[in-house]
Amino acid sequence: MRRGLDIVMGCVAGGCLLACLTISTGLVWSIARRGWGALSFSFFTEQIALVGASGGILWNLVGTTVLLSTAFLACAPLAVSLALMERVWLRSESMKKALRLGLYTANGLPSIVFGLFGFLVFVQWCGWGKSWLAGGLVLAMSMLPTVTLVVLERMAAIPQRYIAAATGLGLSQSQVAWAVLLKQSWGGLISGSLLGLARAAGETAPIMFTATIFAGVTFPKGVVENPVLTLPYHIFILAQDSFAAGVETKMWGTALVLLGLVFSMSVAALPSRLYLHEESDV
Amino acid sequence: MTRVLSWLLSALAIGAFGFLLCVFLFQSGPVWQSEGTRYITGVSWFYRQDVFGALSLIYGSLAVTAVALLLAGPLGLGAAVFLSEYLPQKARLVLKIPLELLAGIPSVVFGLLGIALLRDWVYRTFAKFDPLSGDTLLTAGILLAVMILPTMVSLCDDALRSVSGAQRQAARALGLTRAETIWNIVLPQASRGIASAFLLSVGRALGETVAVFLVIGRQDNNLPHPWYSPAPLLEAGQTLTTKLGGAETNIAFGDPLHWAAIMGLGVLLLVLTAGATCLGTLGRRRHA
Repeated sequence: MRRGLDIVMGCVAGGCLLACLTISTGLVWSIARRGWGALSFSFFTEQIALVGASGGILWNLVGTTVLLSTAFLACAPLAVSLALMERVWLRSESMKKALRLGLYTANGLPSIVFGLFGFLVFVQWCGWGKSWLAGGLVLAMSMLPTVTLVVLERMAAIPQRYIAAATGLGLSQSQVAWAVLLKQSWGGLISGSLLGLARAAGETAPIMFTATIFAGVTFPKGVVENPVLTLPYHIFILAQDSFAAGVETKMWGTALVLLGLVFSMSVAALPSRLYLHEESDV
Repeated sequence: MTRVLSWLLSALAIGAFGFLLCVFLFQSGPVWQSEGTRYITGVSWFYRQDVFGALSLIYGSLAVTAVALLLAGPLGLGAAVFLSEYLPQKARLVLKIPLELLAGIPSVVFGLLGIALLRDWVYRTFAKFDPLSGDTLLTAGILLAVMILPTMVSLCDDALRSVSGAQRQAARALGLTRAETIWNIVLPQASRGIASAFLLSVGRALGETVAVFLVIGRQDNNLPHPWYSPAPLLEAGQTLTTKLGGAETNIAFGDPLHWAAIMGLGVLLLVLTAGATCLGTLGRRRHA
């Protein structure tokens, strides 16, 4: 009886895991199977035509790259500063705790909230209209907590004796920050940013009111009223239309490209992500 | 110099988030003044008549989250048990990779999968209840379940592994089988961590926008009668996030009261998600 229950428990738990793995690989396979046919050299080098039924996704790729680069440039200095704040400048333990809790909570905020904020502040109040800069800044805000937390974990993992040695050599706090903390945590900034960008690349909600339209623009030439085309919004719009055969293949092709982009960024960051899951206590 | 710079940039970052909160609170002011508590308890939302009751949206959000949790909770916990209690370290890490990849699929692609695979399946499977289409709260809930599954597995796995190995060895030495050890020792001790895994998943599910948007049908004012009736699950509905992501946000800007009502939904969403995430994080921290 007890032996039987033991076996049943193992089978049920194993079945659960098997189901999770089947779902995950099955979904990826189903996207790849449908999208594979659309991929060709011209798919990456032509612009959109016939409302998505023809042509390629050149400017969508460019637009997504523009947004991600802007987001990275805006986010990285802030993330490093916040992490240094927690490690070096903040003295009181309760302030540090509050900062960490704030970061974790901000990390869970829905992305649509950032989209509305950007719509009101950048698009309306600043008068930028839909603009790549608005989208980049909104994405930067939405990925800031993730990046900061990864940098923070990496800084916390630096052996205390490095810092003690640097201080012992007479370095000031700023010098310690540059020579030890920042130098040792570059990897954290890179992998944290990759994680944040992987998430940001697929986000639709924050940019649909602030930065992106479906067709008709190429490379932005200024800030005001200069939206870009993006991969997720392309899929979002096509998904709501009826599925004409031509559109459908192109749409799944776009989804596959987006997935490839996101996966390559997450895979590059995967070692540190798994490591974080293994080691971090919060 | 470094110090001043990092103070300034941190102040900028924290200021931006503070500003976000203030913007939502102040911009939603008019609707709280005009509708009072009816804004939360009101059953109808007709913006042309300036009637703003968000109850059906709150119901939609909670309903899809509940469906997602009911499906992903047991499945995720089971998978986590197998990962942490049955598998050696190396195999665990290898099997976690596909799950991390599942976590990486963008929400709009999930939406697309929902349209292509799930919508018709729900329509056919529940045909005897005569749903109008495959765009239902249930469809959205199932899709959300798949989306929160990786979070669930990963966090439950962390919670289970934070129980010390000595406890397991002691239990086994006393003659308990592996299943009994898990039921009587590991799960009770990890319960707090598991609870926060659920809470953090709830936070994620509540905030999901685009995937839900594509399969929920987006029909306003769908509430169950009586309140416990499951019938609306097979009808189109609307959640806080799909309302915010829809065309109404663009229409609302310019009409102060309507805009305030939209921003008010943002406040409700912020309170719900931040509450769940904050509690979940605190629970985990004390547990670990």
